Amino acid sequence: MIELIDVVKKYKIGIHEVIALNGVSLKIEEGEFVAIMGPSGSGKSTLLYLIGCLDKPTSGKVLIDGMDTSKLSDRELTELRRNKIGFIFQQYYLIPTLTALENVELPMVFKGLPKDRRQRRAEKLLELVGLGKKKDRKPNELSGGEQQRVAIARALANEPSILLCDEPTGNLDTKSGRIVMDIIKRLNVEQGVTVVLVTHDPSLSDYADRVIRIRDGRIVDAD
Amino acid sequence: MLIELALRNLARTKVRSVLAIIGIIIGVMAISSIGIFGESLKAVILENFKDVADEVIITPDYTHGYTSIDARTVKKIENLPYAELVIPVKSESALVEHKDRKTYVTVYGMDVKKTKELFELEKGTYKGCLMGSKVAEFFKLRLGSKITVAGKEFRVSGIIKEGARFDINPNYAVILPLRNFDRLFNKDYSMVIVKVEDIDKIEAFKEAVNKVVNRKESKVSVFEMKIIIERIKEVFGKMTLFLMAIAGVSLLVAGISILNIMLMSTIERTKEIGLMRAIGAYRETILKLFLTEALILGLVGSFIGGALSFLGGYSIDMLILKTAKYVLTPSSVLYVILGISFGILTALLSAMYPAWKASKLEPIEALRYE
Repeated sequence: MIELIDVVKKYKIGIHEVIALNGVSLKIEEGEFVAIMGPSGSGKSTLLYLIGCLDKPTSGKVLIDGMDTSKLSDRELTELRRNKIGFIFQQYYLIPTLTALENVELPMVFKGLPKDRRQRRAEKLLELVGLGKKKDRKPNELSGGEQQRVAIARALANEPSILLCDEPTGNLDTKSGRIVMDIIKRLNVEQGVTVVLVTHDPSLSDYADRVIRIRDGRIVDAD
Repeated sequence: MLIELALRNLARTKVRSVLAIIGIIIGVMAISSIGIFGESLKAVILENFKDVADEVIITPDYTHGYTSIDARTVKKIENLPYAELVIPVKSESALVEHKDRKTYVTVYGMDVKKTKELFELEKGTYKGCLMGSKVAEFFKLRLGSKITVAGKEFRVSGIIKEGARFDINPNYAVILPLRNFDRLFNKDYSMVIVKVEDIDKIEAFKEAVNKVVNRKESKVSVFEMKIIIERIKEVFGKMTLFLMAIAGVSLLVAGISILNIMLMSTIERTKEIGLMRAIGAYRETILKLFLTEALILGLVGSFIGGALSFLGGYSIDMLILKTAKYVLTPSSVLYVILGISFGILTALLSAMYPAWKASKLEPIEALRYE
């Protein structure tokens, strides 16, 4: 379960202070599919990164499975991200020198899994996203949709319970976007992975169980 | 996989990596080649003196007013323990003439049999008057040539091979059997050369001299050849280190170039670093990745440089010393190992700061970096 209690996040840009989140509280249950929607600059990505332990709140608490992330060390946060959270970004962020298979293996390398085990699992995950035949291709030999599917496979490498998606279809055409979203939905339904999706594309809200709307750092409408 | 990743990252910027490696190669080569040369130079010089290491020269103690060593003292020295061979030598500066040329040289008188122990002959026999090679050259002497020493005529019976000694310079010496010397000059001995049984017994022998000969007053001084040799070793060792330090500047430059390319690559790969941190890489993992890249550059460059430095050492030796027989000695190998170690160390030290900087990146800021 994910819980945010009165979370405030301020940034300093030069001498100006920007309040990205201004007292956000919310709960996301295990296995839920939640879409966070709002215009750009509304603070939705900041919210996602706080949930993903990539950033710490200025005040308030972020609890992941009851653990207060503000009390964890950098090393513990790294382990939390590695073992519980999978990230999918708008720009895919694949390592250009690694093949699709190796990109999927990477989180398992960081976890210290033996080579044969991580290769077997990476192959299985690439099959799952429909890229079994392209496992030896480098990112620049894959289409945008295919790269995002590799990124999904990578996000699943260490069997996370939470999948955080930051505009996953933002760089994709409608068809590829649908394929990607279908995979994410299937993971949510079939494997019970909690999905938090940040988007400003209203058509994606159909995939979600619940939509949280955010504006100027505050939740304006949660249904 | 970290090594694999490091290799591919280096391959991504091939030209840069190759240039960095070349820098290390040059640095290691410079250090090791000069080390080899210094060692060879030392060996060449020491080889000239390898026979004299176990020798001791006994001279009159001039500070106490003695200008020669009398026969009784020589007898005492001959009976001392540890003395394997005792060669008493008389000497005098005298006019030597041949045909229309004349010059002053130092004329030595010593036992004919013992002459063999000190000098090698280029030609002729030890019996009779021996000429140093430079003297022979000056007078254009051949075996059997007639020369006049201090007004008395001798026939050249042998010419001494060119060489170097601290006590008697063989190239400029004229050596007469003691009997002939005594007929020309009425003198006591000017020095006694003693070969000690074993190099470790030199101290004990010196003590014996002081006890027996210098018991009442200091008649003679004892001078060990070993000291000179040790000084030579010391001086050349220092000189080699100094030259290597100068060569080390090239390695420093190579190190700075590695620092530079690593800094560039941390900036270029900021987003990748952020991603790796996001999906579960520890700070140390990032640190290790960058250090591994530098280590690979260092290892490749250093080993190639190390191998090439034999070639470098060979070239310098041939150019300056005209011999390459000291290139492949254990001490040369030591300098190559030293060069390789410095190469690897330089690469690692240079990568420390960029690697540390990369590992300190906050994942969120790295991912958002534009």
